[in-house]
Amino acid sequence: MDFQLTEDQRALVDAIQSILTDHAELPQDQRLGYAWHDPAVQALLADNGFLDAGRSIGPLEAALIQFETAQSLISIEAMGCGLVAPMALPELPLAGPVALVAERDVARAIRNLPVATTLLVDCGEDVMVLPVAAGQVEPVASIYGYPYGRFRAPVRLADGQRLAGRGALLRQWWRTGLAVEIAGAARAAIDFTIDYVRQRQVFGRPVGAFQSVQHRLVQRHGHARAGYFLAMRAAWSGDAGDADVAAAHALLGIKPLLFDLHQFNGGMGVTTEYALHFWTYRIRALQAEVGGLTGAALDIAARRWADADAPLPKGADDE
Amino acid sequence: MEFAWTDDQIAYRQQVRQALDELLPADWDETYVPESYASDLQVAFSRVFCAQLAERGLLMPHWPKEFGGSDSPDWYHFILGEEMKAAGEPRGSQYMNVNWIGPTLLKFGTEAQKAQHVQGIASGTVIWCQGFSEPNAGTDLAALRTRAERDGDAYVVNGSKIWTSYARTADWCFLLVRTGPARKDVSILLVPMDTPGISVTSFPGLIKEGHLNEVFFTDVRVPVANRLGDEGQAWAIVTHALAYERVGVPRYHTGLDALDLAVSALKADGRWEADPVMRARAGTLVAQFEAARMLTYLVVDQRVRREPPNTDANLSRIVALEAVTEMMHFIADYVPDCLAGGDRLLEDYYRINIPAGITGGTNEIQLDLVARRGLGLPGA
Repeated sequence: MDFQLTEDQRALVDAIQSILTDHAELPQDQRLGYAWHDPAVQALLADNGFLDAGRSIGPLEAALIQFETAQSLISIEAMGCGLVAPMALPELPLAGPVALVAERDVARAIRNLPVATTLLVDCGEDVMVLPVAAGQVEPVASIYGYPYGRFRAPVRLADGQRLAGRGALLRQWWRTGLAVEIAGAARAAIDFTIDYVRQRQVFGRPVGAFQSVQHRLVQRHGHARAGYFLAMRAAWSGDAGDADVAAAHALLGIKPLLFDLHQFNGGMGVTTEYALHFWTYRIRALQAEVGGLTGAALDIAARRWADADAPLPKGADDE
Repeated sequence: MEFAWTDDQIAYRQQVRQALDELLPADWDETYVPESYASDLQVAFSRVFCAQLAERGLLMPHWPKEFGGSDSPDWYHFILGEEMKAAGEPRGSQYMNVNWIGPTLLKFGTEAQKAQHVQGIASGTVIWCQGFSEPNAGTDLAALRTRAERDGDAYVVNGSKIWTSYARTADWCFLLVRTGPARKDVSILLVPMDTPGISVTSFPGLIKEGHLNEVFFTDVRVPVANRLGDEGQAWAIVTHALAYERVGVPRYHTGLDALDLAVSALKADGRWEADPVMRARAGTLVAQFEAARMLTYLVVDQRVRREPPNTDANLSRIVALEAVTEMMHFIADYVPDCLAGGDRLLEDYYRINIPAGITGGTNEIQLDLVARRGLGLPGA
């Protein structure tokens, strides 16, 4: 049991933090937007091997990278191409960002579809892999903190590559990635809020001097800190049960997190001149993915209290 | 970063479990656990049990070898505590002896005090109680009023302590007393509980037998030789002693055990399969207890590295309390009869946790500490 990063992991994290710091600023014309994906930064991280850490080093390192990208104001697609696809579908050659969607939602607006080159569709037992061409997708306006888009014309799943029996593994790593993404975005949003409440004065003292603010902020901080380690444990172990736990915990925290952070940032938190929404509305976007809180919690229950003759949730154990 | 136990740690945990299997009576769960670990029944049993643990080298393995320990690493000490807690804490109050009273005596005690106390603690036969809180000094402990006035080679103690678990059965009290007018003028006395002038009154409450006692001190003479450390040194000693205790008990173990019990009951009467909301809440509780587990392990890992104590320990308690509170609510929602003559183990879990946000430093104090020292938020 060792909760510290190894020297190599520390070096990896330091290196990506350095790059992300150099690209921390949004372009002037994007400052009032809801999400900003910079293909140049995405390519820079890919070219330098950061998004291949899952294959070249391991899933924990991929998760550490994703935790860092999730803290950036820039929307970087590291969950799909850096963690989920390499771990769930290691044989799949990838070239660029990956979007993830459940089969029933293929016709809806899909997170990251406008920037993705590959779409992975959760079809229950199987996974369908579809290449995505730029002309196929129309952007969809959204307040969520990711680029959203939908197919201009209905897609035929049958035209994709079917990876039989891989649905469970996809969902497991999707849940792990979701937990990592929420942990990173929550960390950044909480730190941002702490800075604000230290400085913003009301009734002659900082907002952060009020106990009603302090206690709730500590609770959100505690949830996020535990969530980080649960997410990293799920990446480290590759265990479907750990992924369910990490996702359920992350999703459980969304309601108080988003309420409190927007509350503590006051009116500024509802403007797009301010950065908070870049993180909070990424978190909100993830809330319903892979079955949401209820789905993850039910899978935890089914796994822990399975009857001898009852099937377990379709997790990695089934592979 | 690494989340696995080593082979040696796994083997050690197995050794502890085997000892528990062999040493606990067959009716431990049915007869002893529901009485709570501060009950007369369990305290009496702890004297036998801890002596047997001591014989097996499992009472205080983390102590220095010269005092009967094995110098074992902190993770082994933690694994021992985790397994004991999971078993219903058959050491009773003696977990305090081996965790902090003994080590504090080793660090701050005189040679005579060590000679007098350490062997007794290491043999597992002595019961201590902790004389800290008072009717008007709980969270604000520095407001304590129990006075110790010097009279020759003794102190004369007058005042009272409250919420003193184990007071009826304890042999010794680790007592905080005021020895001067300033808030910092607090000292520690090691007081035999059979000293004339000490009386103990128990009172009923929501939690179980043995925890709610008031201890009265009327002209109690305590030799100066029984003072631990210098006059006015209490805060430094107590802060040191409790620095690593602040992670608290591993509540995730007992919480998950209670949840397993509740689910068994719900399955038995057919409600489990029929109610997905109930199942989802149970699954969410597992995630909450696992979160508490992660932060507890984090704090132990920091201790292993000899990092200075920080607010992660406070944070782990806050997160654990949220899980415990949800678990109590789950019990009241789905197995309410356990508080009305149903499952005694669930009743015990519920009742023992009623003050979980108060004991060992209130949740509000933990929140304040993390806000100021951890997040750097400004004072009022």
